[in-house]
Order: sequence, then C-alpha cells, then structure tokens
Amino acid sequence: MDKRTEHSEGPAEGSENFHERPRLVKGGLSFSDVTELVSYHAERKTPTAWYAAFAVASTGAMMLIAMLAYQVYNGVGVWGNNQPIAWGWPIVNFVFWVGIGHAGTLISAILFLFRQQWRTSINRAAEAMTIFAVMCALIFPTFHVGRVWAIYWTLPIPNQMEMWPQFKSPLLWDVFAVSSYFLVSLVFWYVGMVPDLATFRDRAKGFFRKRILGFLSLGWTGANRHWRNYEKAYLLLAGLATPLVLSVHSVVSFDFAVSILPGWHTTIFPPYFVAGAIFSGFAMVVTLLVIARKIYSLENLITLDHLEKMNIIILVTGTIVGFAYITEFFIAWYSQLEYEQYAFLNRAFGPYAWAYWIMMTCNLISPQLFWFKKLRRSIPVMFGLSILVNIGMWFERFVITITSLHRDFLPSSWGYYTPTMIDVLTFVGTFGLFFTLFLLFLRFIPIVAMAEVKTAMPESDPHYYDAEGDGHAPAAQDDTPYIKPSQGYRNYRGGKQNGDDTPDDGTTNGGT
Amino acid sequence: MIELDVLNDHSAKSRDEESGPHFWRSPVQMDAPTGSNSGDEFRDGMSSPPDGASRRQFLQLMGAAMAMGGLTACRRPVEKILPYARKPEEVIPGVPNEYASAMPFRGIVRPLLVKSSDGRPTKVDGNPDHPYSQGATSPYEIASVLNLYDPDRSRRVLEDGSNASWSDFMSFCRSLGDRADTQSVAVMAPPTSSPTMQAMRERMESRFPNLQWVTYAAEGDDAVAQGMQLAFGQPLRPEYDFGAADVILSLDADFLDGTAPNFLHNSQSFAEHRRVEDPSDDMSRLYAVESAYSITGGMADNRLRMQARRIPHFATALAAELGVNVAPTGSLTANEQRYVQEIARDLQEAGPQSVVVAGETQSPEIHALAMAINEQLGSLGETVSFFDTEDEAPTLQSEALDALVADMNNRDIDTLIMLGVNPMYNAPASLGFAEAAERVGTVVHAGLHVDETARAADWHVPQAHYLEAWSDGRSYDGTLSIIQPLIDPLYEDAHSLLEIVNALATGTDAAGYDLVRDVWRGRVESDFERTWRRALHDGYLADSQYASVVPADVSLPESVDTYSEDGYEVVFRLDPTLLDGRFSNNAWMQELPDPTTKIVWDNVALMSPATAEDLDVEVTYDAGVFRADRIAIEANGASVTIPIWIQPGFPDGSIGVTLGYGRSLSTRRSKRRTPFWNTDEYTDIYGDGPLAGGVNEDGTPYTPVGTNVSPIRSNNGRVASGATVTKVDSGYKIVSTQEHGSMEGRPIARWSTLEEHRNDPERIREMGEPVPGYREDSYEEYPELWADNHPSEQPEMKDNWYYDNQWGMVVDLNTCTGCNACVIACTSENNVQVVGKEEVGNGRHMYWMRMDRYYVSEDANDESPEMVMQPVTCQHCENAPCEAVCPVAATVHSPDGTNQMVYNRCIGTRYCSNNCPYKVRRFNYYNWVGTLPTQVQMAQNPRVTVRSRGVMEKCTFCIHRVRSTQRQARNEDRPMQTDEVQTACQQACPTNAITFGDLNDPESELVQKRDNSRRYEMLDYLNVKPRLSYLGRVRNPNPRLADADAPAETA
Repeated sequence: MDKRTEHSEGPAEGSENFHERPRLVKGGLSFSDVTELVSYHAERKTPTAWYAAFAVASTGAMMLIAMLAYQVYNGVGVWGNNQPIAWGWPIVNFVFWVGIGHAGTLISAILFLFRQQWRTSINRAAEAMTIFAVMCALIFPTFHVGRVWAIYWTLPIPNQMEMWPQFKSPLLWDVFAVSSYFLVSLVFWYVGMVPDLATFRDRAKGFFRKRILGFLSLGWTGANRHWRNYEKAYLLLAGLATPLVLSVHSVVSFDFAVSILPGWHTTIFPPYFVAGAIFSGFAMVVTLLVIARKIYSLENLITLDHLEKMNIIILVTGTIVGFAYITEFFIAWYSQLEYEQYAFLNRAFGPYAWAYWIMMTCNLISPQLFWFKKLRRSIPVMFGLSILVNIGMWFERFVITITSLHRDFLPSSWGYYTPTMIDVLTFVGTFGLFFTLFLLFLRFIPIVAMAEVKTAMPESDPHYYDAEGDGHAPAAQDDTPYIKPSQGYRNYRGGKQNGDDTPDDGTTNGGT
Repeated sequence: MIELDVLNDHSAKSRDEESGPHFWRSPVQMDAPTGSNSGDEFRDGMSSPPDGASRRQFLQLMGAAMAMGGLTACRRPVEKILPYARKPEEVIPGVPNEYASAMPFRGIVRPLLVKSSDGRPTKVDGNPDHPYSQGATSPYEIASVLNLYDPDRSRRVLEDGSNASWSDFMSFCRSLGDRADTQSVAVMAPPTSSPTMQAMRERMESRFPNLQWVTYAAEGDDAVAQGMQLAFGQPLRPEYDFGAADVILSLDADFLDGTAPNFLHNSQSFAEHRRVEDPSDDMSRLYAVESAYSITGGMADNRLRMQARRIPHFATALAAELGVNVAPTGSLTANEQRYVQEIARDLQEAGPQSVVVAGETQSPEIHALAMAINEQLGSLGETVSFFDTEDEAPTLQSEALDALVADMNNRDIDTLIMLGVNPMYNAPASLGFAEAAERVGTVVHAGLHVDETARAADWHVPQAHYLEAWSDGRSYDGTLSIIQPLIDPLYEDAHSLLEIVNALATGTDAAGYDLVRDVWRGRVESDFERTWRRALHDGYLADSQYASVVPADVSLPESVDTYSEDGYEVVFRLDPTLLDGRFSNNAWMQELPDPTTKIVWDNVALMSPATAEDLDVEVTYDAGVFRADRIAIEANGASVTIPIWIQPGFPDGSIGVTLGYGRSLSTRRSKRRTPFWNTDEYTDIYGDGPLAGGVNEDGTPYTPVGTNVSPIRSNNGRVASGATVTKVDSGYKIVSTQEHGSMEGRPIARWSTLEEHRNDPERIREMGEPVPGYREDSYEEYPELWADNHPSEQPEMKDNWYYDNQWGMVVDLNTCTGCNACVIACTSENNVQVVGKEEVGNGRHMYWMRMDRYYVSEDANDESPEMVMQPVTCQHCENAPCEAVCPVAATVHSPDGTNQMVYNRCIGTRYCSNNCPYKVRRFNYYNWVGTLPTQVQMAQNPRVTVRSRGVMEKCTFCIHRVRSTQRQARNEDRPMQTDEVQTACQQACPTNAITFGDLNDPESELVQKRDNSRRYEMLDYLNVKPRLSYLGRVRNPNPRLADADAPAETA
C-alpha cells in the first residue's frame, strides 16, 4: 500500500524528511475523505438527535429571552445586585463568556502566525465558539445597565445632545474592545470559511441551498488568484486579530484594575486575565470537541494529538493563573496596606471562602494532572478536567467581582450577595443560546476547515509524490479510483461497503 | 367645510379687481381671462360651485349650535383650586413660602417653620427665630409632614363602622345636651399645652358636670412632673444647662434622643461644652448609668450598664456618698461601687458645674432624689433651672386610668370620648380596657386613622393633622405658639381636636380658627390684631415663657420604692423612630434605622450577649440575613412574642422593648393587584395596604410590622420586673442597614482622649497613614491619574461664575450624637424613596445619608464596648473616583467643586458605586416612585427631581438650595453672603455638628472649622481629596475609671 494508508506517528530519529513530520490527520484520510467527512454532516438529513438537542438548547435560549424581557420590564432589582455589590452575576457571566471567547481567535490567529498547523482541525469550531461566546457575553453588559434603552449612549455617535461618551471610563474601552474583537473575529471566521462554503455550494442539491451558499461563497472558484487574495487577506486578518486577542481581556481586566477597590486595583490583572481567558477558552474547546469529534466521527481529524496539545496549553495557562493568585497574596502582604490585606484574607477566609477554594482547586490544582501524559491523553480525564476548569474560571470571576465588593473600605457598608432565580435562569439561558448557535453551526457550516486541513496534510506538498517518481499521485497513474472512503467513515455510514456512493468531485475546489 | 363668503371673496376678487401690472409666466397664461378660472370648471347649466350656506349646511350649523348650546349646561366639577385672578403679593409660583407653626409633641409644642410649595406643606424645619428651637429639629417634626399625606388616613365620620357625615356627628353632639346634667362623660386626651384646649375642656366641664378628664399618654405616667411635685411640692419643669456643666451624670436619662421633650435644648447645650476648637479647650464629662444602649450612652465618656430596676440602688448610694440623707436601697457590685465613688468625687470637684439627670424609666422618687443631689452639689440655679408651669399638682395617669376603668366596668360611664388616643392598642392588658369599653354607652373616638380604638368606637371622627388645623400650645419653656395650618384638611370630614371638643361641649360647629382667636383675645390685653399677626408671623408670642424659679429647698422622698429583682426586667421605651405608634404608618420613620441597632421595619427585644446565652437564644447571621430567635415575654398577666436582638453594652438580665409596632389599621385604600409578571409589589411599599399593618373587613390583621408590647406593660411604670421569658421559635428575619459593627481597626471614625489630643493635637489627623511608620514619601504627593486634565483645571470650569464658591462640609464627630435628624431631613428634602423591609434586606435602601455606628473596644469579646456615630454622605471628592469610571459622563464635577449626578444622562452601569470607597451611591433597582399614592407624591419637594428606575443617585450637597440662593443673589446683584446656604442636614442638626460652606470665603464657619487640629478626611490615603472632612471625636473619660470597664458582673 502507499503511504496514504500507513502513516508513521512521528519522524524517525534523525530524519529530516518533510513528509515524515507527524501526521495531523489520522486514519489515512485522503483529501476527498476529508471533504466527505465534513460535508456529510451538513448535507445529510437532519438526525433526530440533533432536533432533540436543538429543542433543549433553544428552550434555553427562549428562557434567556424571557428572563431578559422580565428584567427589562421590571428593573435590575430582579437580580441579586445590591449595595455594595452593584455588580453581580451579570458581570461575572460577562467576563466568563468573554474569557471563553478567547480561545478561538487565539487558535486561528496567533497559532496561524506561529505556523502551528495542528490548529487547522480545530480552528473552525473554536472560532465559532468564540463568536457565540462573545455574543453571550455581550448580552450581559448590555442588559445589566439600569436603562437598557439608552445603552447606545456608550457609543460615540454624534447626537443632538452634543455629548460624547466619557473616554476615561474603562467600561467605554470595554465597549470598543469587545465589539471590535467580535467584529474582527466574525470577519476572520467568515473569510476563512469561504473556500469551504464554495465546496458546499458545489455539492449543494436544493434550490435555496445552492443560492444561499452561492451568495455566501462570494463567487469562489478556487482560482489561483482567489487563493492568493484569500491567503493574503487571511494573513492580514490574523495580524489584526492577534493584538485584539490580547487586548480584549486586558481591557476587560481594566474594568477592575483601573478602579480603586482593594482586590481590583491590581496591575497584575491584564496578563493574568489574558492567561485566564486562554485557560478557560481552551477548556471550553476541549469540552465541546471531545463531544463533537465523537458524535461526528471526527476522531481522525481532531485527534488525540490535538487534544493533548490543548491540554498542554491548559496546563501552562492554569499554572500562570495559579501563580497570579499567589502573587496577589504576596503583593497584598508586601504592600502593608491593611485594606489590601484584608481584601485577600477575606477572599480566602471570609464568607465567600467556599468560592475561593473552589476556584483554587479547579484552576490551580486540577490542571496539574496534565503533567502526566497518560492523563492528558485520556478522554474522560480531559473532559472532566475541562468542565472543572470552566467551573473554576467562573468562580474566579465571582471571587474577583463579588468578594472584593462585598467588603471594601468601610465596614458599615459591608453586605452580602445572593443571586436570585432570575440570575440563575439568565445564566442558564445563555448556555441555551450558546448551544443553539453551536448546534446550528454543526448543522449548517463546515465544522472543520477542510481547505486548511488539507494544506496541513503531507499530500499538499507539491513534492509529496516526488519520491514515487514522477510527482503525481499514484491513483491518477493507475487509473484506479483515487477516492476511497476511509474505514472509519464507512463504519459511520452503517457499514456500507465501498465505492457505490462515493462522490466524484470531492477534490474539485477543496484544496490543492 | 362651510364655505363662507368672507373667505371666498378674497379668492374671487383678488386678481380681477386688483389694479397694477399683470404677472404672467407664459403666453397662454397671459391670454387666459384672468379671474374666471374657478368659474370655468362649472359651465353654464351645471351645478353651481358651493357658495354661501345651503339649506343642508344651515341645518348642520343649527344642529351643532344646539348641541353645543346644550353642552354649556354641563358644569365642570367644582374644584377648589382657583387661578389667581389677582396674584397675592407674597406668592410666586414655584418659590416656596415658609410659615411658622408648631407641632404638638408629648404635651408641649415644638416650634417649626414649614415650607409650603405651591400650597402643599413639603418640608418642616425648626423655627430659627424661636428662643427655644434655633432652627433645629428632631426626626419627628420633619417626618410629621408625611403623616399628613398618609394615604391610609381616616377620611369619613363613621357611625358604628359605617359611613356617616360630620353633620350626623353634629346632631349627635347636640343630642348629648338633652341630658347633659345626668350624663357621666369621660374624656381621654393626650397631654397638651394648648390654652385653647384648656378652654374647651372648661366648656366641656361646664356642660357635663360629671366629667372625668383623663390625660392619657401611651408611655405611662409622667415621672418627671411627679418627681418635681415630690421634690418641690409643685410640678416645676426642669431645664438643664449642659453647656455650663463640667460633669454630667445621666441616670438612665436618654436626654439626647429625639423622644426627650426637651431634646433640642439638651442637645444644643450639651454640644456647647463638647466643641473642642482648640486642644486647650475644656470639655464636659458625661457619665451614663443606663439600662439600654442609648445614643446618650454612646456619647458618654464613661458608661455603666445597669438594670433599670437597680439604678435606684446606684442613685441612693451616690446620694449617700455625696451626703444626701437617704438610705441605700440595695447592694451594688464592686465595680458599680467604684463608679459611685469616682462619679461622686468628680461631681463634688465640679460642684455647681455638675448636673445629675434622671430618666423616664426611673420612678418619681429617683427624679426627686436626683434633684436632691443637684441641690447638694449646688447646681440648682446653676446648671439646673426651673420653669413654673403654674399647673396644678399632676394626677397620676395610672390612678386616673384605674378609676376610669373601674367606672366603665360599673357601667357608670355613659359616654367615653377618646381624643387622638389609642388605648385599645396601647393600654396595658392588665387594665382590661377593651372589655370595660364594651360597657360604655357611647364611645366616641377621634383620630388620624381608623385604628384599633376607632373600630371599637360607636363614633369615629377623622382628626385633622396639625398642619391642617388651627391650634396653639406652649414649647418646653412655655413660649406660646400658634399652630397655623398650611393646607385645608385633605378630607372634608376631618376636624381638629379643638373643634371636636367644642362640638361636644356646645353642640355648635365652630371653626378652629375662631376658637383659638377667642381664647387668645382673652389673653392679650391690648391691640389683639397686631399681637396675633405678630405671633402668627414669628411663630411665637414674645415673652410668654414661664417664669423661671429657683426652688428654695428640695424635700427628699420619704422612701424609694424598689422592684423585686426576680426574673428578667422588661423596660418599655418610646421608639426612637415610631414614638408611641403615631409614626408607625410613616414610611420614612419605618425605614429610618434605629440609632443604635440600625434595625428597620421591626421592633426587637434587646438583650445583652450574656442574657441571650442564659435564655439559650441567638441571632445568626448567614448570607447577609439576620435570623433571630423569638421569645415569649410574660409579664403583668399577658404575654407577647417578639424576636430578640443581641445588643452589646446592654445590662445583663434586662430586656428592652419599644412601643409603636404591631399595629392594625383599617384603610379605604385597596391593596394593589398586579399582573403576575409585574413585580409592582416591589416598586413601592404602599401596595400591601397600611405600612404599619392592616386589618381586613372581617377583622383579621395582616402584615403587621413588629410586635405590640403594650399588653405586658404595667399601668404605672416603664419597668416590668419578674418577667418570664421562653424561647418560641427561630428564624425570624431581621433587617438592619449595618451588618458589621466593628471598624476592624481602621481609622474611619477617629477618636482620641482629651489627654492624648492635648499631648499630640496631630494625632487624629495622622491616624490615616496607610502604611504605619512609613512617612518619607507622603501619599499626598503621589501622582494623580488625570492630573493634567483634572476637571477643576478646565477653562470651562474656571470661567464659570460658580467657580467663585467652592463648597465643602465639616462634620464634628464630637458633637454628633447620632439622633438621625439629618437623615430624615435629607430624605424629606431630596425626595429620597423608601423601599420596604424586604428591599432593605436586599441591600437596596436609598437613604442618601447614613449614620454609621461602630462599636469600639480593646477586647473583641467585650460585652460593653464604646460606641461612635459617624454620619456619612457623599464626600464630594475632588479626585472623585466615580467620575472617571462613568462611561457616559453622568456623574461630573461642578465648577463649584461638588460631584454631581446627571440623572437624565445616567444609564445605570453602577460602576460609580463600585468605585466609591465610601459606598454612598444609591441605585434605583426598581421604579420606586411609579405607583406612589397621590397623597405621598404631594409630600415631595418640587425643587428636586424624582428619580426613576435604573439611575444612580446620591447626596448633592443640596445643590438646589445652593443654586436658588445664587440665583437670588444674582437677581439682587450682590455677592452671596457668608454661610447663606444651609444644607438640609445642617439645618436639622440640633448640635451644629454639620457645617456647610464656601472654602473660598475666609469668613465662613467652615473655613474656621477646617483649621481645627482634629480635622481629618476619611480614607485620605486614597488621595481622593474629599470635600467633606470630619473633626475627630475627643473623649474625656475619667482616668481613674480607665481600667474599670472590665466586663460588668451580672446582677
């Protein structure tokens, strides 16, 4: 057999051969297999299970809408916010979701610039997650204000009042940072999707499907010129998105760091928040992809190697975050400021100590398990851990926001915060919205960047077949069918045997 | 439309008949015969154009005319509001007028100046011209305006519970006369100082020979008057000059609390000798021996907690120590003995410059004994002076009540008239008043509410609020005032007590105005009209004080009655917010935190930690909620169930309760029903019926606030001894505005002793160092974030003419007693909303000004800590942290240096609140004002915006007052005068602890106070540069008692 079905797991010792790099795509998938595997999920009849999942998720989304309507109708008082804890769950959830929305663009932009080709299998889903998470995040600062109908005053729109927003306010920076992050991520995601949408378009059967995909794929034909422009645009957008990845959470952290509240007023916040965001974002990617790759039989595209790499990032960022927690304590002690010291002691031993220790356990201790290769390659372990990390990171924001506020300078104004049912249901509702969007994504959009994955496959190297002699793929030589469905794919389709339902033009546009 | 010739004429004639040149645009137009265009449309033989009135139009016109003619016959409803055809000279719409009046309060009147905004009384201040008020008030006067607008007030005369009218009542009054000679009539009336009421009483007495007139106060006998009677043989009224005293001893006297009749004078004179302007200044020393933790105890330099029933032991021991011939009544502990000796020594050293005051919980004998001690010290005439009220010897209320009830039980009373009193609610159960009342022929009740007594009465007449009716009265010193109404009674049937008594006495309906004038005419010798007008304008009749006398000699009480010391003692006090229940349907007062416990919307059984342990009861604090155990207190044959509260500094074995809670009021206002998605029940507190607690048609009470403790009172004293206490249940939710009582060692409310202050005047200021011992790099020189474009440096600011005044405030913690007058004044002035128990519990109270109370003790488990009060409001920082973080510039700096909220601009991110280190910002979590009853809306100050939901609010330094004064000055083309503007809190403060003024004016009191070496700024290390600074408190404890504050022994 040729090399397409037998892959070495890594280069041989001392080998400098380009082809011998570890294969990112397993299972001997050919280009066509990749196309088939990815397109199949968008083209087949909608499975009942999807409907079931969608029903649950969209119920959650409807609940979110209902909760927000209730809140707008009645006032912020339906939440648990009070005096002195003027920011409660909504801001906790905001920072949580923005944090989750961090991984996608990091994967697609920064890892792209660093030529980390393993990103290609996961970037589409991760970016989708980013965009949906940022959408969920944006809901909170919008609706948490007292008068949501005047929220547009935070935007620099020329108006008859001749009023600009107040540019010194970190909240305003936030508006700019998060909205530009959202827009750039969205454009980046869409631009990266154009070749894959064109593949879909070419395979589309229905009238509307053809028209819609035709519109969305922007007349992509796979021409050399298209590719050239595309690559350049993608590179530029990656360059643009990279600083935003770092800025968005830095700016979110300014909401806290610029204030004078003990526990918030900390210069460590920007890097610590960015690390935390990457940490939680990767954890969320792991959570989602562990499920998706299983259900959608993408194990060969999103392999254990991919997951392991993400787990390593989780380990690194988790440790950075843990280091930051400890540094905060050190600085509080070193500053000799009683207010500062009290704020941190109160976190660890005050009424919210439980939240603090949940945070410490989940964020600092649990990722340390990933030091063990066996554990970081174990699906159940990583799934459980990623959930823990997400819980821990939510509690980190809870600890920062609420424990700092509830006991600040004057003991006379100390208070306590308890969320209401509306708080809880709103937060649950954002998960409903998130999963609704994610399910739609899984159903209608190429869930893996087919074109990019192909570029990461050894076959994409023009000289890949040089070793065989004439530089052409063997199949083309022999006149035997070039496309053979992989075993995994066939199993997926219910053990149907070879050939008969093989599409014939899988490689037309996908990627050469 | 009806075509009218007049109109048509114009168009028809315009072109033809005008002379002058033709204007044309095209040859066609020139050729066409001008003027006939309209005619062309209708050729000959066709219908003519509509022109003139046709038959059809004529009919239309006439029909319409008839219909309209008919409409004029309909009259608009009669409204009493009339436009000014000729504007009265003194009324300018939108500019408030102030009228002098007075509020009846516990048998005296408190002189007032009432602000009327377009005919509505909206704000009550003290009368600054009055010799006995000097412009300050207690919380009660200010809050009384909301009683006027109470939506649950009684509106109709009721006969046997069903609607009747005033004329029905008048015919009843006339019918009384038929058999007046044989009738035996009893009247229960509140203590009053009104000469007109006295005259009405005489009229009653002349009509009904068998009249019993019982003066009834909910709190029981007037121990002071009784005590003075005992000591001097006449009911002289004592006045204490604390300003002249070096040593003051309070024997359970909470003389600094608003409930004290002479509160204003007490506070003012006390503050006089506590203003340490220079470290070398002297200050008085206050000893408090008390059975509660009162605000007087909080001000005390040395405080000894002691059961009320054991304080006579202390008093007698002290008297004996000072050489008064009295036998000790009981034994004291070693610690108490030590206090006796030290206080005696201190008193003796101070001699005439000392004063001993006995409190209302103490028996008349102790009051007499206190006077004997004062005499022994030589302070009679020095620090204690007396007014001769010329009253007859006071009868004991308890005895009169007992006699009355006995008569009622014997069916000897034909008619019982209860004037503005509520014995069904607040008479002790042992009296059996309710049962006795059933045996009375006719029961007449007059009151502001259809309350417990009104429902049991045959006749109920709505009483007019004092701001609605003419009356008069005397202030504490006897100065006569006219109570001048500012508004017609809101409800037609409402009549003043004077009018009601007059109706009952004469059967004729006379206006209160005439009644008062008739009486005054008799008093004023000459030129009545002029004197009357003068008194009305000034608010008092000059030189009408009681004569001041110095009694020659004090007769010692023969014996001092003591209580048995079995069981627990229960001490009944007037509530510092609800008084005896008169303010219980007053939202401001319900939400005004108790000065010491900071509890709102509840009354509790206060006890010391040791007592709680004894009883095995506790208050738990979990997740922001206090859960208290409830106890059943059984005393005097009755039992009440009430939640407990553990109060450090309370004497062991004593339980303190307050009156005024557990009401049940009938109202005509229905409960609001709201759709299920609407949380309107949160948006205002009036939705659930009467605030104090309502009663359904079938007589079942609902949502009462707190517990009525009157049933377990004894008829003749404030102390019930031998009470048994059992735990009932747990988990009662208590809401307090301050959950944490310790300063955690932070230099927030700073204090030092007089000695420390003299040795190191800078001590208080230097307490704020964030890092102890590290002074080289002062935080005051730290760079500022926005220093380059600081708001105050902008040309728009500097060029503004407001820039000339830079406002600031100083609060003197040494004279602030924590009486809460400022809090209520601010609430009334600034339309601050009330949110109810539930929402206060959620941490959403709105009061702009809060009175922080901290306990201070060396030892964390000290059961008798010191207490310090600190009023906190917006500090108006120059580097305001709130301003920098608002994304929409809704909170900004004014050119005159205040930090202002622009409500219209605020979108409610609440970031400002988070960034405020003082946490003085208040957020409208709901639309608190959306559904307020109309009456309550009338109480609001039209010069201050009512805030809607979703916006932040906070103290403005009463900027509306500043602006209107500035406007006034500009209109008059003059600079503002020194200290021309007063904030509402400053105006109300009885001790002048709050000073507001212009930092740019070297003459201002503010600038002088800022020179005080006690001045500091709270959290100054943050470098936010507050415009509000505090003068640290200086305590003057007896050094010889320094180590005596060890945990006190249980009695």
